[in-house]
Amino acid sequence: MSEARLGLWSSMTSKVHSCSGILWPESSFFPLSQWLYDHRLSTKELEEKYGTNILQGLTNMRAAEILARDGPNVLSPPKETPEIIKFLKQMIGGFSSLLWAGAVLCFIAYLIEFSKDKSASLDNLYLGGVLIVVVILTGMFAYYQEAKSTNIIASFTKMIPRNALVIRNGEKYEIPAEHLVLGDIVEIKGGDQIPADIRILTSQGCKVDNSSLTGESEPQFRSCEVTHENPLESKNIGFYSTTCLEGTATGMVINTGDRTVIGRIASLASSVGHEKTPIAIEIEHFVHIVAGVAVSIGIVFFIIAICMKYRVLDAVIFLIGIILANVPEGLVAAVTVSLSLTAKRMAKKNCLVKNLEAVETLGSTSIICSDKTGTLTQNRMTVAHLWFDNEIYQADTSENQKDQIFDQSSATWTSLSKIVMLCNRAEFKSGQESVPIMKKIVMGDASEAALLKFSEVVMGDVIERRKKNRKVVEIPFNSVNKFQLSIHETDDPNDKRFLLVMKGAPERILEKCSTIMINGQEQPLDESSVKAFQDAYMELGGLGERVLGFCHLYLPEDEFPDNYSFDVESMNFPTSDLCFVGLISLIDPPRSTVPDAVIKCRSAGIKVIMVTGDHPITAKAIARSVGIISANSETVEDIAKRLKIPVEKVNKREAKAAVVSGMELKEMSPEQLDELLANHTEIVFARTSPQQKLVIVEGCQRQNAIVAVTGDGVNDSPALKKADIGIAMGCAGSDAAKIAADMVLLDDNFSSIVTGIEEGRLIFDNLKKIIAFTLTKNIAELIPFLIFIIAGVPLPIGTIAILFIDLGTDIIPSIALAYEKAESDIMNRKPRHKKKDRLVNHQLALYSYLQIGILQSVGGFFAYFTVYTVQGFKPDLLLYLRPLWENDSLNDLEDSYGQEWTKYQRQYLEWTGYTAYFVAVMVQQIADVIIRKTRINSVFQQGLFRNKYIWVGIASQIIIAVILSSGFGSIPVLNFTTLRIQYWFVAVPYAIVIWLYDEFRKLLVRHYPGSWWDKTMYY
Amino acid sequence: MERNSKPAGAEDASRNLPTKPENENEGNQLHSEDRDEVEAQAAAQWSLAAKMQQVKNYLWNPEKREFLGRSGQSWSLILVFYLIFYAFLAGMFALCMYTMLLTISPYIPTYRDRVNPPGVMIRPYTYSFAFNFNASERSTWISYVDSLHHFLQAYNDSIQDEKNVNCTPGQYFIQEGAEDKEKKACQFKRSFLGNCSGLDDLTFGYSTGQPCVLLKMNRIVGFHPGNGEPVKVNCHVQKGNKSDLKSMDFYPETGTFDLSYYPYYGKLTHVNYTSPLVAVHFTEVKKNRAVGVECQLKGRNIQNNITNDRFVGRVLFTLNIGG
Repeated sequence: MSEARLGLWSSMTSKVHSCSGILWPESSFFPLSQWLYDHRLSTKELEEKYGTNILQGLTNMRAAEILARDGPNVLSPPKETPEIIKFLKQMIGGFSSLLWAGAVLCFIAYLIEFSKDKSASLDNLYLGGVLIVVVILTGMFAYYQEAKSTNIIASFTKMIPRNALVIRNGEKYEIPAEHLVLGDIVEIKGGDQIPADIRILTSQGCKVDNSSLTGESEPQFRSCEVTHENPLESKNIGFYSTTCLEGTATGMVINTGDRTVIGRIASLASSVGHEKTPIAIEIEHFVHIVAGVAVSIGIVFFIIAICMKYRVLDAVIFLIGIILANVPEGLVAAVTVSLSLTAKRMAKKNCLVKNLEAVETLGSTSIICSDKTGTLTQNRMTVAHLWFDNEIYQADTSENQKDQIFDQSSATWTSLSKIVMLCNRAEFKSGQESVPIMKKIVMGDASEAALLKFSEVVMGDVIERRKKNRKVVEIPFNSVNKFQLSIHETDDPNDKRFLLVMKGAPERILEKCSTIMINGQEQPLDESSVKAFQDAYMELGGLGERVLGFCHLYLPEDEFPDNYSFDVESMNFPTSDLCFVGLISLIDPPRSTVPDAVIKCRSAGIKVIMVTGDHPITAKAIARSVGIISANSETVEDIAKRLKIPVEKVNKREAKAAVVSGMELKEMSPEQLDELLANHTEIVFARTSPQQKLVIVEGCQRQNAIVAVTGDGVNDSPALKKADIGIAMGCAGSDAAKIAADMVLLDDNFSSIVTGIEEGRLIFDNLKKIIAFTLTKNIAELIPFLIFIIAGVPLPIGTIAILFIDLGTDIIPSIALAYEKAESDIMNRKPRHKKKDRLVNHQLALYSYLQIGILQSVGGFFAYFTVYTVQGFKPDLLLYLRPLWENDSLNDLEDSYGQEWTKYQRQYLEWTGYTAYFVAVMVQQIADVIIRKTRINSVFQQGLFRNKYIWVGIASQIIIAVILSSGFGSIPVLNFTTLRIQYWFVAVPYAIVIWLYDEFRKLLVRHYPGSWWDKTMYY
Repeated sequence: MERNSKPAGAEDASRNLPTKPENENEGNQLHSEDRDEVEAQAAAQWSLAAKMQQVKNYLWNPEKREFLGRSGQSWSLILVFYLIFYAFLAGMFALCMYTMLLTISPYIPTYRDRVNPPGVMIRPYTYSFAFNFNASERSTWISYVDSLHHFLQAYNDSIQDEKNVNCTPGQYFIQEGAEDKEKKACQFKRSFLGNCSGLDDLTFGYSTGQPCVLLKMNRIVGFHPGNGEPVKVNCHVQKGNKSDLKSMDFYPETGTFDLSYYPYYGKLTHVNYTSPLVAVHFTEVKKNRAVGVECQLKGRNIQNNITNDRFVGRVLFTLNIGG
């Protein structure tokens, strides 16, 4: 929390060019004046309206009544789908409906049989039961997985309880903020979050940070006068969830909970519809394909079976078998597990995902609209450059600022450092002795905090030094004076002079100076030094830094003796002819990891757009320093400057980069915006309001891009909701933003987004691999039924054995594929195209179904025929043997050797066949899981043993098969038998062929990119 | 539809942000958004037709001469590829099967554990193992009789004399020599079945309500039933009153499958092998009720109590003889 508060404290941003104050473009947000006019009421009217007393507050009883009437002072969370609905959705969604259909068919088949013959076999009844159990179990599993990963974020969104200081019955109480009611009188002080919408009654230097509401980070004064018609602009209203930065105030609660301004905006945000996540669309698409295949093959063979004069009942049973064989029962479980695995992995990397699918959405991101402050930058003002002795020195702006390497030997620096230290009202909050300097919480505005920390790092123990140089008087900074001044006693006991120190806007400071200090010597301020000053000021300003000037004056002892009484009002001390000492420029520096992350984005074909409320120059400077505008690209203005031609004459196509201000954006038509987005690869939007973010997001989405948007303010909520993936800041973000977002960045760091994108791409790849792995054996399960129907051989594999493959041997390997590391090209290819690059494309389906799947079936049949042959039934005999084979009363069926078999003996042999086929599929699925480790790289490039879970999966396949085949499976209904050891290896050649063939495929894909083979065989 | 609903949704979103009425600019914007929405709706209608066209185009694109999004060349490449692929698979499968069959002896099955111990079947063959007939009504039993006559054709004494050799009873007829050498079979003459041979009583006793049922033990290659002692047949009432089945005769009189008919050498070499039979002549059966009969084999390596398989070493059938 400490960092979060720091974030709020110092979320002000640098502005070298004076900011005229962003006039609420948001004021047009909604007609507030209709429901909020309390700012215009007098205190008397207010007391009357809310039945309260300004001094005594409400009575406890009255407060309780109002609380009962209005409810607690909290934002109501967005409506959640009831748990039972979520659960039922898991039960009937996707493949479950097919399985339900299968189960119902089973029961119907049983009922038909039962009505004919009371002693009908219970097999169909069992199978139906098993199917229902499967549906319920997988549904429960998916539900559990989703609930678990929802909890990851749910725990986070719960905010720490806040307290409010309230006056009731004439006494002060500290109560939880949610118990506040209309008419309560509350006291706030610097550092507090305003607990409800309040009308300010009294104020002592109260400043608030409205950035969570407006995105504007400049602190604003609060007073008790009405300053504007619009309540949002009137200075006597404090808004819920904004922060009081300094000073104190008392106020009357005028809105609570959802009726606050923030509450209105939050509910507005929830009204923006949310698009389906790409992975949800993809999985739906996949389910449609598979269900379509299952149902159509089922129906075709139902008709064929009827035509071949099978009984309708048999045809129905075939239909069930075909559906079962086609439905990858275990896939839902594998997919949810792998998604939640990734969610966990991302949480470890500081990305919290709200819903599982968001992970994958992140992977298909093609445009990131990123905030500047806090995301790309460290979100704290930091001393970047110093100018003294006519030279610019660079300060260390890294996260810990340990290496301050500039020249500290000059006497000018000694003077400058003294001014920096003394002319500063910021202080460390007490009780942070053990905290590293950079992490300490500072009371005071961002620039002052930066200077305080800077001097603490460079000189050490600022507070002690300040004590030694006792402050006599001070004039705080205000926007009229544009300077800050204080007068101190010096720590030199021999020097009785007072030291006047001053800092402020450089041009104003320079005006007040007549001399300049060079190498510790005061020299008259001549034209050349002014020129030097101007150059330095321009240069630092051009870097987008906020520049401050410093000067001092030792007051002559005779004029200002020890007991001189300084008066701020009459200014009975000199404020001109001072000695100019130096400039210090501040910037919110980029995070050190960001440039690499931006480069990664670029190679991954992701466009990074900066959207900031800051001044274009600052924005551009940061964009350049992090690489959002790359070193060699120019904006239209740059080109104009270089060629010395007017901006209008520049060919806009030549400029790769663009810096667009909010004002320009407002003038643009959607078409112009589209053109801008399409033609420039490097775009910075500066001086934008949070509402314009929504416009930008929509513009990007019109380009068919998948847009990720970062945001922290409440006003960002609509953009966060609208974006394909909204990313809220964990530290600086407001609740509303976190609620609207799909993902929360715990460290507010842009590079975490890139890590997230990598994870997202990985999960997409791995899902592909999982699905390819799972689909393959569906054919191996389906073909037996088809051959059974058409060629009349004894059934090669039973439905229960199919379920054991889908939900037994194949589950762990498919989940293990989720642990597969990225292939080498993951961040070097273009982002996925929403419509073109499907999760399950025809290459994947064809390769799995028609190539590896068929190969597996052939291997399975080989095992099947082998087992029958060694027992006496040669393949030629088996053809069309079915009517005799399944005849219950035929107990002396002759085999190829003339031996005679009873029905049960044949049945047992059939089960042995199931087992052999099952084992063959299992063996080939081992090869399948190995080949699915990669889609383009060789398995050996990827490392055969890098993903240990694959081997756990393979071991599980073998163990499950061994258990089933070693007696456990001879439980009635399961129908597994023991298999001689040598028949476990019948399918091994086919497994090897699968592996070799896939290596061959990958080899050709790697060597002939873009060829027919690549297009047909790369999934 | 996705494509169309999206911009429309975006429109909604921005419309949800109420605009300040006094701001002229934004008023205009609102107006233009209204127009956009109308256009979007028009586009939605238009796109249905377009979608149809798209599907048509997908099926057959006359411009690019593409069928299902592929040109003729692409299709033929795919066709050729799959042809080669499946030809390879078929070749591999054939090779595997061929190799596998090479390792298999045509004379002796590799394993005989699933067919052992032997099952028992009865003749005449009935689907339900129930003999329901009325002795006085010929039509009720004639099918049984025909079936038996047909079955016993191969056992005619003349055929047996001609094809098979006479063996010494009481000992296994072991024939040494190469696997592929044709084996001789022992004579089992129809006349061994006495009253159940159908030679004297052409109706096998059915016309008198004393039916004959032939028992046949399933053949297993190389199996030596009884381990030196002939396997004996024993029939009794399965459940219920033992007096329902007062008396019965066995043919051959010993009621055994003689050792000399074993072992069986398989269809390929033991060409004229005829399974030995034991006929059970139910001479006194309770009439007009279903009598459940169980005939069991008894011998050293014979099992007759496997729960799951009611035809191993035993056979169950009901006799329901009317009038």
